[in-house]
Amino acid sequence: MKTVKLGIIGLGYIGKVHLRHSLKIKNACVLAVADLSKKALNKAKKAGVKKIFTNYEQLLKEREIDAVIIGLPTHLHLQCAKQAAEAKKHIFLEKPIARNIEEAKEILSTAKKNSVRLMIGYPLRFNTAFRNLKKEIENGIVGDVEIAHAAYISTGPFLHRAEAHTPIPVPEWWFKKELTGGGALIDLGSHIINLLRWYFGEITDIKSLLGYRFNLDLEDSATCLAKFEKGTRAVINVGWFSQGYHLKIDLYGSVKTASAQHTPSNPILTAVQMLTTGTSKFYQPHYAELQYFVNCIINDQSPSPSGEDGLKDLETITQAYKNQISLD
Amino acid sequence: MSLVSLVKIRKEAEIKKGITDALDLTQYKLPTNIKNIVIKPNLCYYWDYTTGQTTDPKFVAALIDLIRERTTPTVDISIVESDASAMKCKYAFKMLGYEKLAADYKVKLVNLSQDPYETAQVTAGKQSFNLMIPKTIQKADLKINVPKIKYTMENIKLTCALKNIYGCNPYPKKYRYHSRLGEAIVAINKALKFDLHIIDGNIVSGIQPCRLGLVMASVDPVAIDAAAAEIAGINPKTIKYLQLAKNEGLGNTTYIPKGEPINQFKKGYPKKNIKNKLMNNAYTLVIRAGLGKRLGLE
Repeated sequence: MKTVKLGIIGLGYIGKVHLRHSLKIKNACVLAVADLSKKALNKAKKAGVKKIFTNYEQLLKEREIDAVIIGLPTHLHLQCAKQAAEAKKHIFLEKPIARNIEEAKEILSTAKKNSVRLMIGYPLRFNTAFRNLKKEIENGIVGDVEIAHAAYISTGPFLHRAEAHTPIPVPEWWFKKELTGGGALIDLGSHIINLLRWYFGEITDIKSLLGYRFNLDLEDSATCLAKFEKGTRAVINVGWFSQGYHLKIDLYGSVKTASAQHTPSNPILTAVQMLTTGTSKFYQPHYAELQYFVNCIINDQSPSPSGEDGLKDLETITQAYKNQISLD
Repeated sequence: MSLVSLVKIRKEAEIKKGITDALDLTQYKLPTNIKNIVIKPNLCYYWDYTTGQTTDPKFVAALIDLIRERTTPTVDISIVESDASAMKCKYAFKMLGYEKLAADYKVKLVNLSQDPYETAQVTAGKQSFNLMIPKTIQKADLKINVPKIKYTMENIKLTCALKNIYGCNPYPKKYRYHSRLGEAIVAINKALKFDLHIIDGNIVSGIQPCRLGLVMASVDPVAIDAAAAEIAGINPKTIKYLQLAKNEGLGNTTYIPKGEPINQFKKGYPKKNIKNKLMNNAYTLVIRAGLGKRLGLE
């Protein structure tokens, strides 16, 4: 069986997660990585990556590389994804696909024009609990889902180290709306909207109520009301404001209620999992999505979530930003 | 021995009265013939006051009201903080409500990492430090420290008055000093002697945030830290930098409490239990062994 040769562009928070997993997935090898940080590059080299670059354009010139994993800040997605497509590399692109619809469309058209596969990183689609929930919906076990509640509340980019609550520096681009395309709604909401679209089809209408607890130009929380083509109504709550972590979907169906959630493991269990499997239960979906992406390339299949999914999610989020409501 | 006052407040509306009572109990009189005042809150990362990690801007607002009542309404007030390894003042001031406070109360916000400075050679214990002394602090007629009471994973055990002054160090990469943190804290306090220390203990962090409703005040940073340590369930004698601070003449580790009995705050403080202590020790060992990332803890 063919081995897919990967290049990883961007070794920030998520890029490091992807590197760790890419080194372990079947039928793939990481040939090169690119990042501005020499420290991150040297660590990658120590981990077994043959080639390191401070400029991703050099990585794209590597003819052996079949596909790239792009984990760059959102404002760099368009330029990098376009160049990757033109270099005939298949693309795994972190969500959100881009800052705005125009950029997303350009990424899609360039990928199509160059006949490369484009997958958007939505790990919740590879989470066992959320996959089981989809099966319950499809098999009629829940009945008609009248109402869905979805919540994704976390620290957002304001991370701290697991046990110590020692703060981790936040890259400057996270504070700038023109670079991110938005706040918690585009960052965390894109995960939820993609998942709910997977469950219930297209959203026909969506409204949002945005929160600005931290006085930034971008929202740190959002409550959305959405209506789906099959009639399901959803309340979506996302936020960056909490030191806690909560990611849960509750479905209220005509037959029964059903729930699924993603929970972080305790530090001891995480340490054991890291030692034995090289990843933790928390990051298992990230591992699974990369394995799936590699399999799609080997089997010449179109991946899902696709670039079109990423565009549709962004269109929905854009609509939510436009349809803001306010409460006195 | 120094006076340390302890006052209980039951709601946010009582903050100003709590500060007033705490100052009066220490018999401290705000000087009236002053032009410049510096207030140093504890801003730690981008966690707001509800976490107990950072000084509540409402506490600082109440303090500003009191200062203006007891000195002159036109006194020049600067709120100071410096960049840290993981925190930039320009965002912390905005996110934690200090930008709004500055606009509402017409006070200045000063990022000490961008302030002009002079250098000074200061020793503490057997260590010598070449420190940057910010001009804004140097020229202030009155320097007020408004810290929080917090546990820390570092071996200094407690973060309070003396440690908050360490945050006046303009050099952002403060981890540079972490191998001799206790000495660095004492050295900075020797160089920047603050006149008054008022603890915002309305919400404290402990092992979890808790509304303790405490206001403490003292002119002695060592004494107030010793009292804070007792509240947090730490024997002050086990905190090496407090002993060093005492030996370097910064204050006394013994004190005369004034106001509410310290025991009521000791009971309410969310202290570490054996499980927390074991977990913290294990975590520290793992990090020191360089295994944090490999085990998914960093």
